[in-house]
Amino acid sequence: MSSVIALFKIVPDDTLIRITQTGLDLNVPYKISTYDKNAIEEAVRMKEKYSLKAMGITAGVTDRKSIREALAMGLDEVVAIEMREMDIQTTAENIAEQVKGLSPKLIIGGETTTDSSGGVFIPYLASLLNYPIITYVKSLTLIEDKVRAERNLTSFTQTVESELPAIVSVVGEINTPRIPGVKQILESQKKPVKTINSTAIPKVKITAITPYTIQRKKVVIEGKMDEAVDKLLQYLKGEGVL
Amino acid sequence: MSSTVVIYSEDVDYIKTGIASTKGKTIVISPREVRLGDENHVINEIDEQLIAEYIARLKPDLVLTGSSKRDKTVAGLTAGLLRVPIIPDVIELSENKAKRVVYSGMAIAELEFSYPIVITLVKKNTDIRENPDCKIIKADLSGNSKVKVVEEKHKEGGSIDLSSAQIIVSVGRGVGSKENVKYAEELANALGGAVGGSRPVTAELGWLPEDRQIGLSGTKVKPKLYIALGISGQPQHLAGIKDSKIIVAVNKDKNAPIVENADYTIIGDVIEFCKVFAQKVKGI
Ligand SMILES: Cc1cc2nc3c(=O)[nH]c(=O)nc-3n(C[C@H](O)[C@H](O)[C@H](O)COP(=O)(O)OP(=O)(O)OC[C@H]3O[C@@H](n4cnc5c(N)ncnc54)[C@H](O)[C@@H]3O)c2cc1C
Repeated sequence: MSSVIALFKIVPDDTLIRITQTGLDLNVPYKISTYDKNAIEEAVRMKEKYSLKAMGITAGVTDRKSIREALAMGLDEVVAIEMREMDIQTTAENIAEQVKGLSPKLIIGGETTTDSSGGVFIPYLASLLNYPIITYVKSLTLIEDKVRAERNLTSFTQTVESELPAIVSVVGEINTPRIPGVKQILESQKKPVKTINSTAIPKVKITAITPYTIQRKKVVIEGKMDEAVDKLLQYLKGEGVL
Repeated sequence: MSSTVVIYSEDVDYIKTGIASTKGKTIVISPREVRLGDENHVINEIDEQLIAEYIARLKPDLVLTGSSKRDKTVAGLTAGLLRVPIIPDVIELSENKAKRVVYSGMAIAELEFSYPIVITLVKKNTDIRENPDCKIIKADLSGNSKVKVVEEKHKEGGSIDLSSAQIIVSVGRGVGSKENVKYAEELANALGGAVGGSRPVTAELGWLPEDRQIGLSGTKVKPKLYIALGISGQPQHLAGIKDSKIIVAVNKDKNAPIVENADYTIIGDVIEFCKVFAQKVKGI
């Protein structure tokens, strides 16, 4: 049976990360990166529509709860590559290796992740696999042995076609990820998870992570709008911006 | 050691940013003749895979690209073909160190790398002039394109470049409806500024065209005055406005995170603010 693969990354929940006195507090629960959930949803829809097997591959932190969620959403199986340190190159190399054994029809990833927000990972992987690539996809259909996709390129849209196997990255608007029910969550426990350990050493090293804050004046103006605007105008003239 | 630096972007401002970030000889690849760098290879179409193959054939030690969606696709493909590391969205580059924004705009990571490498740059204002001695080469993107374009739809009205606007009136979900955006437009007109918006308003609700999105996954702006109307101030939005000189916010919620990240916040209704402010500005 041919397959579709969803790629997803497990990241610290960006909505819970806080900037504290001592730096960035990353000691927060994990989650599946936002747009990677759209990738999983799209793969599951492909599975339902074209009777494919839906596989998932994740690399990095292999948080069990997040992997279970991906399975509960409808993936049949997950390959989890544990990597302590990672950069784009080593991650792509590790994932490419796993893909080769699976020979999928289609690979789907998210446009960017919430931790690193790069947007270059899927293209990198495309080159390693020598697959056609379609990035920023907002709708996707399979027509016989071809994929047709609509790309959101911000100021314009493009409809493109390519042969399979192919790799695509999807944007958030492509679908609304489903929330699995109790039955799906229970079933997910029986689904296979294959764990692999990678000891690849990244060539790009992170030497520091510092909070990104700019000190602002934080003046709050309350009261009647008319007076508030007058006050604001005075401030802005004082700043020399009006 | 002589090194080959290749700069590619579909947008000339990124090419200039690239030239400003490097010393020595450069090969510039662009879809239009720009006369920048020592050589300017002009390509006839934007096919991401073929461009990446073309760059890889030049055996570069450093590839600098822009960070538009298609630029990044080219960059990732190129790095993969060369099997070299890649660092996207670099805001600061020096020797073998780079800085970029991570964790949804909340932090800056400092990175160390070695050459060869591919780097995509965040756009900067530069003062780079054409090089009169630039050698123009017509580049032949030979090869079979793997992805065929069936159709392209461009939005009406053209696009505006928010990254160079001096005054920006920006609307968030708090503006309430598509119809209400006109109040922000009137205010922007009165101030001689441009209108931008948060992600929900642009990408999700369609109250404004998508190229007006400001933030982490939209345009990064650096106006002297940024007015955030009904924008809560999530890190992903703040990531795009941190270089603004003065930030003004209007929000009915005193506890919205934007208050901590603005110079001046008026607590109140955005529509009322727009009407009163536009009136007073016209009267100045
Ligand atoms: C990977 C990723 C990338 C993202 N990239 C971006 C990006 O580039 N840009 C971006 O903007 N977002 C981005 N987001 C989304 C971001 O997290 C927030 O969801 C978004 O910025 C919120 O938009 P908002 O402030 O308009 O809406 P909300 O958060 O809903 O805020 C609305 C605000 O309006 C106020 N309000 C309501 N009514 C009124 C009224 N009548 N008068 C005055 N105030 C009122 C409310 O108090 C509230 O503070 C991204 C998210 C992810 C996951």
